[in-house]
Amino acid sequence: MSSVAVTAQTAGKRAARAAAKRRGRGTRSAQRRPGRLTYILLGTVLLISMFPLYFTLLLGSSDPVTIAQEAVPQWLPDASLFQQFATVFESDRINFWKALTNSVIIAVVTAASVVLFSTLAGYSFAKLRFRGRGPLLVFVIATMAVPTQLGVIPLYILMSDLDWIGKLQAVIVPGLVTAFGVFWMTQYLSEALPYELIEAARVDGASMIRTFWSVALPAARPAAAMLGLFTFVQQWTNYFWPSIVLNSENPTLPLVVKSLQANFFVDYSLVMGGIFLVTLPLLVIFVFVGRQLVAGIMAGAVKG
Amino acid sequence: MLDSTRRTRRTRRAVAATAGVTTLALTLAACGGDSEGADDGATSGDEEITLTVATFNQFGYTDELLAAYTEEHPNVTVKQVTAAKSEDARNNLTTKLAAGGEGLADIEAIEVDWLPELMEFPDLFEDLADPELEGRWLDWKVQQASTPDGKLLGYGTDIGPSAICYRADLFKKAGLPTDREKVAELLGGEDATWDDYFAAGKKFVAKSDAAWFDSATPTYQGMVNQLPAAYEDPETGEPKDLESNTEIRDLYDQVLAASVDDELSAGLKQWEEDWTAGFQNNAWATMICPPWMTASIEQNAGGVEGWDVADVFPGGGVNWGGSFLTVPASGPNTEAAKELAAWLTSPEIQTKAYENANTFPSQVEAQASEAVQTSVNDFFNDAPVGPIFSARAEAIEGAPYKGKNYFAIHQGVQDALERVDIGGDDPEESWKGALDTYASLGL
Amino acid sequence: MAVLSPTQPTHRRGGRGASGPRPPRRVGFSQRLGRWDVKLSPYLYISPFFLLFALTGLFPLGYTAFVSLHEWNLLGGQGEFVGLENFSAVLAQPVFWKSLVNTFSIFVFSSIPQVLLAITIAALLDQNLRAATFWRMGVLIPYVVAPVAVSMIFGRLFADQYGLINELLGIVGIDPVGWHSDRIASHVAIASMVNFRWTGYNALIFLAAMQAVPRELYEAAVIDGAGRVRQFFSVTVPQIRATIIFIVITSTIGGLQIFDEVRMFDSTGLGGANRDWMTTVVYLYDVAWGNQKDFGRAAAVAWLLFLLIVLIGMVNFLITRRISTSGPKAPAVSRRHTRRLLAQARAAGGAGTAPPTPAPAPAPTDPTTDREDRR
Repeated sequence: MSSVAVTAQTAGKRAARAAAKRRGRGTRSAQRRPGRLTYILLGTVLLISMFPLYFTLLLGSSDPVTIAQEAVPQWLPDASLFQQFATVFESDRINFWKALTNSVIIAVVTAASVVLFSTLAGYSFAKLRFRGRGPLLVFVIATMAVPTQLGVIPLYILMSDLDWIGKLQAVIVPGLVTAFGVFWMTQYLSEALPYELIEAARVDGASMIRTFWSVALPAARPAAAMLGLFTFVQQWTNYFWPSIVLNSENPTLPLVVKSLQANFFVDYSLVMGGIFLVTLPLLVIFVFVGRQLVAGIMAGAVKG
Repeated sequence: MLDSTRRTRRTRRAVAATAGVTTLALTLAACGGDSEGADDGATSGDEEITLTVATFNQFGYTDELLAAYTEEHPNVTVKQVTAAKSEDARNNLTTKLAAGGEGLADIEAIEVDWLPELMEFPDLFEDLADPELEGRWLDWKVQQASTPDGKLLGYGTDIGPSAICYRADLFKKAGLPTDREKVAELLGGEDATWDDYFAAGKKFVAKSDAAWFDSATPTYQGMVNQLPAAYEDPETGEPKDLESNTEIRDLYDQVLAASVDDELSAGLKQWEEDWTAGFQNNAWATMICPPWMTASIEQNAGGVEGWDVADVFPGGGVNWGGSFLTVPASGPNTEAAKELAAWLTSPEIQTKAYENANTFPSQVEAQASEAVQTSVNDFFNDAPVGPIFSARAEAIEGAPYKGKNYFAIHQGVQDALERVDIGGDDPEESWKGALDTYASLGL
Repeated sequence: MAVLSPTQPTHRRGGRGASGPRPPRRVGFSQRLGRWDVKLSPYLYISPFFLLFALTGLFPLGYTAFVSLHEWNLLGGQGEFVGLENFSAVLAQPVFWKSLVNTFSIFVFSSIPQVLLAITIAALLDQNLRAATFWRMGVLIPYVVAPVAVSMIFGRLFADQYGLINELLGIVGIDPVGWHSDRIASHVAIASMVNFRWTGYNALIFLAAMQAVPRELYEAAVIDGAGRVRQFFSVTVPQIRATIIFIVITSTIGGLQIFDEVRMFDSTGLGGANRDWMTTVVYLYDVAWGNQKDFGRAAAVAWLLFLLIVLIGMVNFLITRRISTSGPKAPAVSRRHTRRLLAQARAAGGAGTAPPTPAPAPAPTDPTTDREDRR
């Protein structure tokens, strides 16, 4: 048992440092650079990854007639792409800016909430002792396997009784927690957070919540970054449920993509231009925070 | 049934109440978003109300058009919610009906194909029957939305009287007539039969690389809609045993003989990518063509010259598609909604809707209106589509009976056709598959 | 991610529990307060999750279970209580069984290549690359494209007659593949949409695990004269076993619940005329929302599928536990082992045994997210 009295604050930092040390990755950079083959292979992977999105640009630059005639209408995007963008922005049928705002609100709120609640619950499951812990955890995990397409009806009943139909709460509240998040954080913290650190903080007189705040939370940061990203993207790309509880007056971005289609005719150049526009904000976020994010994910590496 | 619905509702109320308390206990911050539809309360007199109309695709109800209603009824504001696809609208409607009707619009637009299942639960909707409106619509249109005991579930908007659309340029190359009257003659004129249509097809494919029609299923669709009672007995509503249903089996054999043996079908399933591409690649020369299909052809076949419409249909007049406006019974302002639905489906408004979105009116007076009668479609070689489709509508004798199991059985047969026409299966084997599907419905 | 790591003993000393070995440092009120703090805090921390989950997860599930025991038309509502009749009716349907086979087949075509590809890409990324962040971000791009969009894009690429993929095959001299008529081909096409979106995501999780492998192990391997490939198989793979298991399990559960791709693969969205690519979740959807509107039977399908997934999860778990206990002992394991022994020693005298090990993990179960995202 650690008898060293450390403040809770230092314990947090120690957790991070200890974790970093165990990861022992810093020195790897001394390793020699990989050969050309690696870059060629990765380049191929990247090309395949990017092609579908690039393809949307190609179709967006073309027109429906050419698209129907040629599998690939052209190999470079051109300025006519902006016509599709303009149509999307200006269309009366489509509340693009409102959809963008809604999507941002939903994704940010749910990501923050999932991270916070999952970390709390994960910490509790991983490191605290209480009656019913095992069965409850098993329960959480088992429910992840249930096909929930049908759950939509009871959930809808609930939302309508709360008078939330057409409002963002109807999408946000069901997304505030995920069983996946709890399981993820439980697994991470049980590995990454040494008992000694909790001990140290407790010995030093920190309350339970303070111990969580200053020891567990810092240690959880890498996994939390990844969970936050996953949740954000998941909500951003979610279609089925928003399509039921929201409507064309208060949409999210995937609903906008769908409403670019019509029953009997799909203007592919418009739809593809729309798809690109909807994906663009995520790409921008990627470019701006991607470095930190990927770094965070990498720092979050846990031993297998 | 009524009793059980009520019971369900009570149970779920209780559960929801519990759940609601839980939510409140969490003191969740309500987040941004519009709160619409705060239109509770009875509707009497001049109370300010908002009515929502849920439509899909294009109904032709512009903002100006809806604003005109507010001018006549200053206390009523009309809002339109549009789903991009009818499939989305259907999911939405079904889910909300299943959840007790809350969140539905005051007026919900439906397609004719959804009627059989909704007809099973007429209490979910207001009875719209109104002696004053008698004679407004074609008889068979009213018949489609009427329950056996005389309730009217929906006011008709548009209809789909089918003509034959064809590629005059491909006809010319194959040495067939191109003029729309002559084409109508070629296909059998007044008394056109399916045999006439297929025979002309054989002549065509002998001299052309293109097929005669896109695929077997829409052709069958046209044929089966001419049977007064295809899969079910109208008296009892009971399904007819498919194995001994010789009418259906004959159509099945006939359409497959034409599609596969005579190679008239392009084997391209409607609405698929390849089908869309087929318009640009001269894949077929004729199509069963209700008014709404002309819009689809025009957009998919942009740049292709030669499409035309002939005032003819094999086997007599037939309707394909069309919509209604319903008033869900759960709405708070059903009386006002009913009034609005009647207004929206009035001949004058429907004529305007036709001008806006080419939704061919089901109202007798609207069809006779100048706007409809003088309308031409320049993509289809300036064909007088108004008079042509009016004539096709007149040729329709009645609405075929479609009971609650119609589409379940129909889908099995359509799948069987598709397996042979597109998948290249053996017709006999595939028919057995349809029988298996029928058996598994457990009717 | 250390998922499914061998059971860790519950921490027996988390604070001043009543049976804690350490003498209390404070007395009186604050001590009592502290004891309540220790006792209640765990529940307090899990309560937000459970409250919200009860509302949005459990309530719908329980409701579905109730529905499955009744005759229940989606529009007409509750009918008679029929016991297990819905279940026997579903089990007698050939389409149900066909959908299970399809589901399994698509799952095989998606999971196996996905895991192999992801681990290969991760291995490529796990080097001292120039512009490492660029490459890492690059492989994650497919993940940010919405499933709706992916399906639409791939729908064009996989068109039977005029699609790009068949055109490319034509250039190489291969006959066009009937992506919408051949059963296996359709499974491959659908699996490729799944793989496209998830391979990079999984690769990054693998990479995270690989980055955590202690450098000393590689140094030792180099001293032993192991080449790159040898290092990969004898050091990397054993070290990231838990992550491999995690990915296999999440992609299993995701793979068994494929929905969006099938719905959007053709215009009917029901798996073709022969139901050749109809998955069980799509079957469930069709029973409830399609022509039958049979909510009761659909609820039964939901529960049958649930049981199946749990069963497969159990098998998965048993197999993987065997693998992880029979593998070569790595330092990480022995350290964990030591820690466990220590903890057990400390807890000696304390009551109880180790808690049950959690069943294998699926994915976020949020009834409101698209199936694709449930992993």
